[in-house]
Amino acid sequence: MNKTQSGSLKKSDEPIWWGLFSAGGVCFAVFVPAAILFIALLIPAGIVSPEALSFERARSMVFSLPGLMFIGAVICLPLFHAAHRIRHGLHDLKLGSKRLNKLVTYGSAALLSALALIGFAVGVLSP
Amino acid sequence: MAKQTSYFPELKRNWWLKHPYFVKYMAREATVLPLVFFLVCLLVGLFSLLQGAESWQGWLTFMQNPLVIALNALAFIASLFHAWTFFQLFPRVMPLRVGGRLLPANLMVLGQWLGVVVVMVLAAWIFMRSL
Repeated sequence: MNKTQSGSLKKSDEPIWWGLFSAGGVCFAVFVPAAILFIALLIPAGIVSPEALSFERARSMVFSLPGLMFIGAVICLPLFHAAHRIRHGLHDLKLGSKRLNKLVTYGSAALLSALALIGFAVGVLSP
Repeated sequence: MAKQTSYFPELKRNWWLKHPYFVKYMAREATVLPLVFFLVCLLVGLFSLLQGAESWQGWLTFMQNPLVIALNALAFIASLFHAWTFFQLFPRVMPLRVGGRLLPANLMVLGQWLGVVVVMVLAAWIFMRSL
């Protein structure tokens, strides 16, 4: 399988996707529960004061070095984890094709990650 | 000539409904669906933060929508279910030895849950300090 004309094995790109999947899985298990709990449950429900995410506070939290770490650990890596599971889930449900699923899932994860990083950069650079 | 038959019967699309183990496997695969919803919420939040205070307030109101809270509650449960399955993998993939003795798997799983709790305490401090 995957033999090139010279007879050597073609280099697989799977270790990259597998590595991103694993790293994203750790983040999904360790960092994402706390992020959902506070940002999407306790603060919207008013159990924690909405002042916790006031405009000024949110800006200074997100557009900083810890904010960049948050975007990496809570947005970008979990996106690649999700892409990997959706790709294999589609295969399990016999939907789409191998090439197309790979392109669409990892492509979407890369696009959304790029958007997050661009948004961060714009926020840091704007006064 | 006899009809050609394969040793490999073709898998039907609903194969995973036939055994609870496979259903659990597919449920774990599906944990990422509410996760994607939460991640898209965060991305929208990031861009509304860039557009000014009014837009940010709009996002905070959007997050209070009961349907959005319900989907995010599902994402929260899914993240814990994922964690429960993921933490069991670590001792199998990377067994650790301490002083020549194999660290018990239960202890490693417990250690990872401890990590989740520490992150939650840290998040509580980050969000609730000087309120």
